[in-house]
Amino acid sequence: MSTDPIWERSRNDEPDVPLAENIAPGTANDPDAGATESATVTVDGQRVETETGATLLDACQAVETRGDVLALCSYDDSQKIGPRSECRTCVVETERHGVVPSCSFPPRDGMTVYTDTERASEARDVNLDLLLSNHNLLCTTCGKNGRCELQDVSIENDVIEPRYGVMHDRSELEPLDDSSPFIQIDRNKCILCNRCVEACNDVQVEGVLRMEGSAEDTRIGFQNGAETMMESTCVSCGHCATVCPTGALLEQGLVDATTLPVPGFTHKNSAEGIVDGEYDHQPTQRTPMKSELETQNEPRVNERFTTTGDDRS
Amino acid sequence: MVDERIIGETPAVRVATGSENHHDGRELLHEANESETSVTTAEVGSVGHIDLEPLVVATVEGKTAFFSRPSTERMETITRTLGEGTVPTDGAVAVVEHDPETARLPTPETGPLGTGVRRVLGGCGWLAPTSIEEYTDVRGERFTDRAEDDPESVRTHVMTSDLRGRGRGDASGDASVAAEWTTVYETADDPVVVVNGNEPDEHADSDRLLLESAPLLVVDVALASAVALGATDVVIYTNETEQIARERTRKAAAALDDVTDTEIPIRIITGPDEYKAGEPTMALEAIEGNHRIEARRRPPGPNEHGVDGRPTLVHTPRTFAQLGQILNGTGPVGASADPGTRLVTVVNDDTTAATVELSTDATLEAALSAVEPDSGWSGACVGGVFGGLTRSLDVPASASGLRSARLGTNGVVELLDKSTCMVALAGERATFAKEMNCGRCVPCREGSKQLVDLLHRVYDGEYKDGRLRELVRIMRTTSLCGFGRDAARPVTTAIEEFETEFTAHAKGHCPTGICNRS
Repeated sequence: MSTDPIWERSRNDEPDVPLAENIAPGTANDPDAGATESATVTVDGQRVETETGATLLDACQAVETRGDVLALCSYDDSQKIGPRSECRTCVVETERHGVVPSCSFPPRDGMTVYTDTERASEARDVNLDLLLSNHNLLCTTCGKNGRCELQDVSIENDVIEPRYGVMHDRSELEPLDDSSPFIQIDRNKCILCNRCVEACNDVQVEGVLRMEGSAEDTRIGFQNGAETMMESTCVSCGHCATVCPTGALLEQGLVDATTLPVPGFTHKNSAEGIVDGEYDHQPTQRTPMKSELETQNEPRVNERFTTTGDDRS
Repeated sequence: MVDERIIGETPAVRVATGSENHHDGRELLHEANESETSVTTAEVGSVGHIDLEPLVVATVEGKTAFFSRPSTERMETITRTLGEGTVPTDGAVAVVEHDPETARLPTPETGPLGTGVRRVLGGCGWLAPTSIEEYTDVRGERFTDRAEDDPESVRTHVMTSDLRGRGRGDASGDASVAAEWTTVYETADDPVVVVNGNEPDEHADSDRLLLESAPLLVVDVALASAVALGATDVVIYTNETEQIARERTRKAAAALDDVTDTEIPIRIITGPDEYKAGEPTMALEAIEGNHRIEARRRPPGPNEHGVDGRPTLVHTPRTFAQLGQILNGTGPVGASADPGTRLVTVVNDDTTAATVELSTDATLEAALSAVEPDSGWSGACVGGVFGGLTRSLDVPASASGLRSARLGTNGVVELLDKSTCMVALAGERATFAKEMNCGRCVPCREGSKQLVDLLHRVYDGEYKDGRLRELVRIMRTTSLCGFGRDAARPVTTAIEEFETEFTAHAKGHCPTGICNRS
């Protein structure tokens, strides 16, 4: 009988095949954000010490800033999500680099940052309004009403009338994806912050969601090429809905949680069309979940550019 | 007979073509080979003047005559005359006397072929593009061999130079190449050198010209850079549709690999034929094999986090060609803050185009004789699809000169005549931005949509110049990559330079008449 202590035989090394090998989220191979060393910076005249890995946003959040640094798409990056730095509502002005996105810009020793210069405030205002211009702003039938991050920053930023309007023309709306009994997708409210894609791929390592398309056709889609949530390999863990800053991904039970109690006044009635509402008749309430089929968009070497149809407008 | 080596041969006939006229060039070459066997023939790359091509370059001793697009009968006459030991001059667009052993295309003093200088373009249309023997003879010492002997001297030459990047596909942009090299060299992990030759901008021909006509120069400097920086990979990234550029570059890389012993593999990877794919970080995504191409967040940039997260030097063929000049030590040329030359493709009325080389202290006007614009022009778009609109070309060809005139640096001058409506042109470029962006960041993706919308409204009588200026300012300052930062330039400069046209449109009147709706 071996007298080795039990832990001698334990395996604490990484698995041979990385779990994420076949995951293709459709997003860029971003570098780590944050500083490689600690620094002392000045934010609106106040000295801030920052640690390794910190961003300018961390520095701004450590003090009372004069301007509201909105940082809508930003999420806690210690949870492997972000910074995506897509919404550009976190920009601040630095003496050396001009306006920069604070959510991903590394503090460097001696850096001087202002949050309330005209250029920084204007940039945050315009970019927030640009986000709203592509958002279906029917808050009164939205399940996220009152706990929506986009709504919060709009209130915080005193948005009364977004300068580019909001998306209200029904012909512009994408149908609701109501196919799954667990999670509903309303892409008309998606701000493409990518949090759900990262939660699905980097945290849950499920490889269901991806970013697809380009330009105005950019949208959240499925790695197995499915058109609806129910046909995807979703395991209904709900992490995507948890991190979604708007009402784009919602747990089914909360779809009308904050809708005014007026008959016929529902979230579904606010949309132009609905995809696959009748999941009751399906053999199972689960999605097919993991299939043995490979994802359709695994990275391949060299022959990969032959079709671009999906990504072209 | 076709020879791999053409320099110094006499009598000799070269057929210069780019990909555009390649087929016609092949026919002429075939004709020359059929009709006279005592004349050495060679297929060479474009000289930059694609509208004159196929350009037949007929040489005996130190005298050369140029013929633009001759018929096959004419070709036969030319070759036979050469076979008799005389240079035919009848119908030639130019006849030049020169040193019989010259390694640079001999050019006349005036006319399209005489426009600009020929430093990096010297061998284009004159040297056999993929002949390593000829290249080595002409150079004396290959850059790669020199880098292997003394990598430090190569680094020092580059890192003490004031050279700036050339072209939007260069990771150093218009900024210091030395700084880029220093960061790559000082970042741990084995570096990669990328030649970003994917420039799908319709009019920006310089990179393709270099890869088709002087691929050995580009690959040699890139390989020497890799040796000097301790890089372990060279990647040549080209456009999928540029088959001749890719094939010649592949041959050049294989030939260099044979004669040098760097053990640095040179891979050729193709990317999509889409404007965005030439942006340096999107080039990295394509090289890594991502099925969807979007810009990568910065900082840190490619010089620290490039291909597979390794420090990566990303230069365009144009920049590598300039680096060759720096390493040659052939004496300073151009503006002191932006030394060297700049390749500029001049496009006249979408019918003629020529790529010429200007010293950075020359003005853009110096490029005009390349296309001999006759009808007069009333404006220009400088810098490619996202260039700036201007009335004057009295602007230095240096980065700072172009920038202070708010023009683009991507080496294109499109001449616009009186029938061009600047509002419509600005709208066309904004629409291009709206349809071709990667979709990642809000100022570019949503901003370009709103930009198109605000321009539509001008036609409805609502010219909100404050709103327009605000939007283009935010796109320029807060977009994630060069695509979005440049995308606003046509509109910005159109408002600055041609504002009366906007106000006229808002009143329902298009000065050129082309926008007037029934």
